[in-house]
Amino acid sequence: MPTVTFITPDQNRITIENADANLMEIAQTHAVPGIDGDCGGVCSCSTCHVYIPDEWRARVGPPGEDERTTLDFNDAVRENSRLSCQIEMTEALDGLVVEVAPSA
Amino acid sequence: MPDIDDPFSEARARCPVHAAEFQGETLPMILSLKKVRAAAKDWRTFSSDAPRRVPIPSEEDVRTVRQYPLEVDPPVHAEYRKLVEPFFLRPKQPEVAAKTEALVHRLLADALSAESVEVVHDFAIPLQSHALTYLLNVDEKEAQTWIGWGIHVFKDGDGMSKGPFMQDYCRRMFETAEENPGEDFFSTLNRSTFHDRPLTMEEKLGFANIAFAGGRDTIIHTVTRIIAYFASHTEALALLREHPEHINTAAEEFFRVFMPLTHIGRVCPQAAELHGHPVPAGGRISLAWSAANLDPEVFDDPRTIRLNRRPNPHIAFGSGIHSCLGAHHARAIMRTLLRRLAESVAAITVSAAKELVEREKDYSRMVGYEELHARFQPR
Ligand code: HEM
Repeated sequence: MPTVTFITPDQNRITIENADANLMEIAQTHAVPGIDGDCGGVCSCSTCHVYIPDEWRARVGPPGEDERTTLDFNDAVRENSRLSCQIEMTEALDGLVVEVAPSA
Repeated sequence: MPDIDDPFSEARARCPVHAAEFQGETLPMILSLKKVRAAAKDWRTFSSDAPRRVPIPSEEDVRTVRQYPLEVDPPVHAEYRKLVEPFFLRPKQPEVAAKTEALVHRLLADALSAESVEVVHDFAIPLQSHALTYLLNVDEKEAQTWIGWGIHVFKDGDGMSKGPFMQDYCRRMFETAEENPGEDFFSTLNRSTFHDRPLTMEEKLGFANIAFAGGRDTIIHTVTRIIAYFASHTEALALLREHPEHINTAAEEFFRVFMPLTHIGRVCPQAAELHGHPVPAGGRISLAWSAANLDPEVFDDPRTIRLNRRPNPHIAFGSGIHSCLGAHHARAIMRTLLRRLAESVAAITVSAAKELVEREKDYSRMVGYEELHARFQPR
């Protein structure tokens, strides 16, 4: 089962093994600070915002259209922004590292 | 047959901005989701620094205080918002969630044992009022007083605004808390400071005003419409029972389509233009959240209720810095309600209903019920 690491805004690294679900749910289960997931994963609230390091961007892929709509209006949006609720953890993403965006 | 009426579908198809008249004032209403989000972000052009004029119609006749943090702009907005945020996060605490759970359980048990229930007054208003005591961390007995304020503090069916009663009540609560301080909302605001000075009574009343008024009809209407929906969709109760993983998505879908708050205003400090609609300096525009939530550019089949809709980028709780502080509370209540209904109710039958329709010159929109008489059948 794959492993994922969250880097929080205060530079803490939280690594989760056997990650199985979408990244927001994984983060919630493990109480990763800064990933609130208020809307439960429907792309409405953007409280699960993360940045994807360059080396992972191709494998993770770009945001979908609805995700883009919500992200575009977030003050902390960057080119490498994603909503973690829209990233399903798979073996292909084993070792993934994401940075938790500052809360709005 | 679509599940939901969209009073703005024709207007939106013509132009993303639609001029509508409210009590003699013509306002451009923004109907497209992306444009509402963009305008909500652009607070310099579309300001909230307008006491009693952010809601549409304006509340200049029904209250005297500015609502905080709704009716202020950055940079002070964030400072004001921080003062009350801990209370609005309380619904996320397990002890508070357990109380909400017990409350829904109790009210549903009463409903299930009654021959007939008037859902608005016997279920939704008590649910909203008791749950608010948990948010504000005050004695649950206070709920009895609030229940008497009806569906909407400022415009209830008998034509009498309860605004002045509410204001007097809040003033007394701040005074009582001064004498006998605790960890409740009123005592906390009494101790709070802004720019190194205590809050004024006007500011404290402004915080209380939106907590009581803004969080009231919104919750009551959403609860009542959910019950009415299950009355005509018994299969949806079974679906949520078999698939509890759809409870969150169902709650979000109900927030999207039953959006109780048609829109909220902003004031343009300088003259502006919106898609050919001029706005004079000091004039208002509307951010039509409810219309944006049915925008066909964003939502596939927007007028159909899909309990597992995901993604669902609705803006029922607004967008950006002013996004709803009560959203945790609203979500906690609706998710609990859906789970409990699915677990304990086999079917709901409505015997009589009186819809509450917002009638303006240019559109009519159903926002909830004045009365909904129903029978709850146990499983
Ligand atoms: C289904 C229920 C609710 C809906 C649909 C809703 C909707 C909204 C919307 C659209 C806004 C944004 C206003 C703007 O941008 O000008 C807002 C703000 C706000 N809401 Fe709610 N609301 C709900 C429940 C509540 C509850 C229960 C409370 C309080 C107990 C509450 C308190 C507030 C406050 C204090 C703000 C102002 C936040 C700020 O200006 O920073 N709301 N709400």
